Amino acid sequence: MSGISPMTPMSPMSLGGPGATAGADLLARLLSAASLRAEVIANNIANQNTPGFRRQTVRFEELLRGALAGPTSAAGEAHASAARRLAALEPRIEEDRLTPPRADGNNVTLELEMNALRQNQLLYEAYAAVLATRFEVLRASVESGR
Amino acid sequence: MDGIGKLFSGMRAAASGLAAERIRIDVIARNIANAETTRTPEGGPYVRQVVSFEPLLERAADGRAQAAGVRVASVEPDRSTPMERVFDPQHPDADAHGFVLLPNVNTTQEMADLITAMRAYEANLSVQESFVRMAERALRLVQ
Repeated sequence: MSGISPMTPMSPMSLGGPGATAGADLLARLLSAASLRAEVIANNIANQNTPGFRRQTVRFEELLRGALAGPTSAAGEAHASAARRLAALEPRIEEDRLTPPRADGNNVTLELEMNALRQNQLLYEAYAAVLATRFEVLRASVESGR
Repeated sequence: MDGIGKLFSGMRAAASGLAAERIRIDVIARNIANAETTRTPEGGPYVRQVVSFEPLLERAADGRAQAAGVRVASVEPDRSTPMERVFDPQHPDADAHGFVLLPNVNTTQEMADLITAMRAYEANLSVQESFVRMAERALRLVQ
């Protein structure tokens, strides 16, 4: 052990300052939203034969897109407050009231849910791949500094 | 990271779907097996059994009830479909007029329900496989 005294626990997210990790934090939250969506789709599929059940969806990417394209950020809002606004965004679980229900009041379509599940899994893998690349870049820059 | 926890509760939701659909498959099998049963301990012909499902609720962190899968609400006799009445004087359970009451099981209907239940079972299985792949991908991030 060298002389670096108090060992403060550091998450990988806090390495390298805000510039290097702002994207990583966003990616981690995108991953988290994708796993929440997988859970909601699993629940829809489990309840495909439950009378009166309404399918649920998770909205996060489009909320994020809306926040990023918001008029305030275009008008030169301070970077810090824009980041705070993004950090306050939470994935939203919504009940699908638009899809017409079957005779038993249930509006789950198995094929659509399976499609949503596969799509969500591809998204999850894409987020994970980008996050892995970020970690790789961080590791390379840490190792080259030795 | 709460992401992995969500993967596990999603897996539990799929497992509850597997369990519920398996019960439905068992009940359908029982109905088909008893499609010709004219004598039961309760007296009279076998009565078709119907499974009904309800969402399995779990209390979320903020106290709201959140659906976390499915469970069998009840297995009840089908009292709305009438028994089939056929003329068969040779049958040991025929009444004085030669008529026999047969169970209200429509085998074609049961087979159709069986296919639906099996398809639902398989869907829940692939949901579980999908969670396993996602968890493996997440694990590779820390390797």
